[in-house]
Amino acid sequence: MPAAAEINEPLIREYITRAVSDVFKTMLGRVPAFVGSSPQPLGSTSPIVPSQDRQLYVVGTVGFIGEVNGLIYLYLEEPFARLCTCQLLGMSEPELEAAGDEVINDAIGELTNMTVGGFKNGLCDAGYPCKLTIPSILRGSNFSIEPISSATRHTFNFDSGGHKLVADILLKAGD
Amino acid sequence: MRYKILTVDDSKTVRIIVRKAFKTFDCDILEAGNGVEGLAVAAKDSPDLILLDITMPVMDGVEMLTKLKADPQLKGIPVIMLTAEGGRDNVLKIAKIGVRDYLVKPFKEEALIEKAGRVIDLKPLSEQPAKAKSIYDSADILVVEDKPVIIQQIQEGLKHTPWKIHGVSTQGEALDFCTKTPPDLMLMSLSLPEEGAFTLFRLMRTNVKTKYTPIFALVVKTETVQQQQAQTVGFSAIITKPIDISELESKMCKAMNLDTSQRYFSHESGFLILRLPENCSPSVVAEVSNYLKAKVSEAVDAGHARMVIDIHELKTLHMGVIKLLVQTMQTCRELTLQYALVGNAQIITECKGFEDTRNWVFYGNVDEAKANLGKAAPALATA
Repeated sequence: MPAAAEINEPLIREYITRAVSDVFKTMLGRVPAFVGSSPQPLGSTSPIVPSQDRQLYVVGTVGFIGEVNGLIYLYLEEPFARLCTCQLLGMSEPELEAAGDEVINDAIGELTNMTVGGFKNGLCDAGYPCKLTIPSILRGSNFSIEPISSATRHTFNFDSGGHKLVADILLKAGD
Repeated sequence: MRYKILTVDDSKTVRIIVRKAFKTFDCDILEAGNGVEGLAVAAKDSPDLILLDITMPVMDGVEMLTKLKADPQLKGIPVIMLTAEGGRDNVLKIAKIGVRDYLVKPFKEEALIEKAGRVIDLKPLSEQPAKAKSIYDSADILVVEDKPVIIQQIQEGLKHTPWKIHGVSTQGEALDFCTKTPPDLMLMSLSLPEEGAFTLFRLMRTNVKTKYTPIFALVVKTETVQQQQAQTVGFSAIITKPIDISELESKMCKAMNLDTSQRYFSHESGFLILRLPENCSPSVVAEVSNYLKAKVSEAVDAGHARMVIDIHELKTLHMGVIKLLVQTMQTCRELTLQYALVGNAQIITECKGFEDTRNWVFYGNVDEAKANLGKAAPALATA
């Protein structure tokens, strides 16, 4: 199995920015701008959501397993998650309110699935075949996700019309 | 035939997007949340097409596809993969099991429709006869003609209609236009370079959105070979140059299945009014004649017992108009509807010259006719 270290930061950046751009442009007509990345040291646990931030977040997560294993978390502030859901499904805000949070969770889960799909399809074509896992959703504020110590971590920040979007990528080091 | 499309995806979001994408087409959307449910729905409802995701709980799309292809009853159902699982090797491996197409998420609704349209004969809902539009509704008409003067002539001639006449001069511009706004009807000049109209016609017929759009050929009257060629490939109508605008308009109304009766028939305070235009061409006579019985019956059914036949705008009388008026009066008598005629001096004089029309009695205007019809025994025309 190739070591995750072989998949370097520029390659990851290229795949994730292309995946985010493709998904948001095709499905929502938005083109998020890449505003910076922050490579983290091995086993880094620094939180994506600052501890003083009381904003509610909706976080979609999808993994990929195969020749390379990893997990991507897509962080959206709750108002942005609502906006994306409305645009994706052609719903108004009152309709979304009536439909409930499950609809938002499902929509963000699918956007994450598509984004991670685009990222991992790049890995497949680069010689690291792997498959997607089923999406799951986290909701909350003032929380941090602690990756396993052997994972390399890359955080990429995007801006979409003033809304923050963060892709937190964890790659398991090669066995 | 109403097609059934089964979408198998664990994401409700994707199933909603699929339903939304096909809502303007004459088809039913069936849903399943995983492979097990998908196989059950396929066995029960025999869909005409399956849109299949891969990563799903309980049973994934690859397993469902394998089971589907192993079942003699189900293996013939075409499958299009709709999944975020791309990658060359993945796609090739799944294609070998037997799929008609592969669409990687994210996807545009148009791309999904286009791929589905290659597998089943998708018909837009507006093609259904129940949804006939009126002559007063707007419509987008695209004229593909390399001679600007012809486009201007058509725009000028049809400016009294609510239709938007868009003119383009090349195939490329026409394709761009159709991608953004599928027109309600197209007119294509057969004189476009390199048989461009025939190439464009074929492209329009392979596109789901324009597959059923009426397409007229514009051709010089003497170019009989081109006219035959256009008929053979299936143009909806041939319009010869110089263009007879009223004939063109009439053919366009028919091709777009427009209800033109409101042009001639109206209801005014308890009266059914039939108004013939200034130039009553044979196509106008045929149109009015087609609507006549239904319109008179409709009026009787709605409680109207009187009708005014207003021909005061008519320039000249001809046999077609006389026959139409005789038919109208006959229909009124059959349905015991009182009627009165309104005409101008010229028409009244012309009527005196024919045996069948010399005894017809005319009023000077509609109000006068209405007032007299309101009286007990109005002076009715006889035929």
